[in-house]
Amino acid sequence: MKLYVYCLVDNTQTLPESLHGILGVLVRRLEIGDFSFLVSDFSDRTVPVTRENALAHAAVIQSVLKETTPLPFRFGTLVNGQQLENYVSARSEALRSKLEQVRGCVEMNVKIISDRDWMEEPQASETQAKPGTAFLSEKRREILGGEARAARAKQVAEWLKDQVAPVAKQTQIETLPTGKMLVTAAHLIEYERVEEFRKRVTEARHQRVDLHFLLSGPWAPYSFAHMDLEFETHFGVS
Amino acid sequence: MSFEQIIVSGNGDSLEEQELSLLETLDHVLNRGLVIAGEITIAVADIDLIFLGLNVMLSSVETAQQVLRERQKKSE
Repeated sequence: MKLYVYCLVDNTQTLPESLHGILGVLVRRLEIGDFSFLVSDFSDRTVPVTRENALAHAAVIQSVLKETTPLPFRFGTLVNGQQLENYVSARSEALRSKLEQVRGCVEMNVKIISDRDWMEEPQASETQAKPGTAFLSEKRREILGGEARAARAKQVAEWLKDQVAPVAKQTQIETLPTGKMLVTAAHLIEYERVEEFRKRVTEARHQRVDLHFLLSGPWAPYSFAHMDLEFETHFGVS
Repeated sequence: MSFEQIIVSGNGDSLEEQELSLLETLDHVLNRGLVIAGEITIAVADIDLIFLGLNVMLSSVETAQQVLRERQKKSE
């Protein structure tokens, strides 16, 4: 029997009772050291990615968020008790520090979309050119369009960062290289400043009517739970 | 404060906006969070959903644009 892991919290926290998780199994609290893990028993070897399972995973974490700020695990984390103990003993300082960093905060996400076509229309002389010349002209327009899009994405990212800087404890902004989405940003916001954050994003939207905004949250700090140590372990460095 | 999650791009009552909310949830649970190295063991139970998960950003954009288009139609 394996354990499906949802999230981690301080073991001093009060947590909701009678939570049901993946496949409707009762969620229980497993204390290891200074930490509590929310887990449920799981008998299969893999976790099917279904709408129901993904929502069940998110719902458990969201329920905990009403009481305290958890560190969420990624969907599909299956371990045995010994693996979880090893995980805590190898990372207790990093986990403690990470919990301290997100305490009292939630994650708010902003995605920014542009409908604009970044490739310029070909000039009349280009449309009448020989095939080789037309091909090179097309490639040139593609490259210039890509550069213009990248420059705009960078500019929008910087602008968004400035707009929310007074209320964001931390920000992770990514510009995307292709497609209509220019920027995706995760912000770590203190509970009591969420409304202020929403207000700032709403005001920012009014300044940029050429762009579409998608604001979602509050989430548990999924984007801020990452630890460099995990990558080192993954590649066998530590 | 309220912990009800919101998607600001709409009022949350249409099917498309529910779908948008699901896509945002998938984006978070499938792509982010703590990882115990080598212990993510998911299975392809639903091809469409896996495709959706791997391309969730793109799907979110398409769904978002559909919502925006519908709203524009309503306002005209």
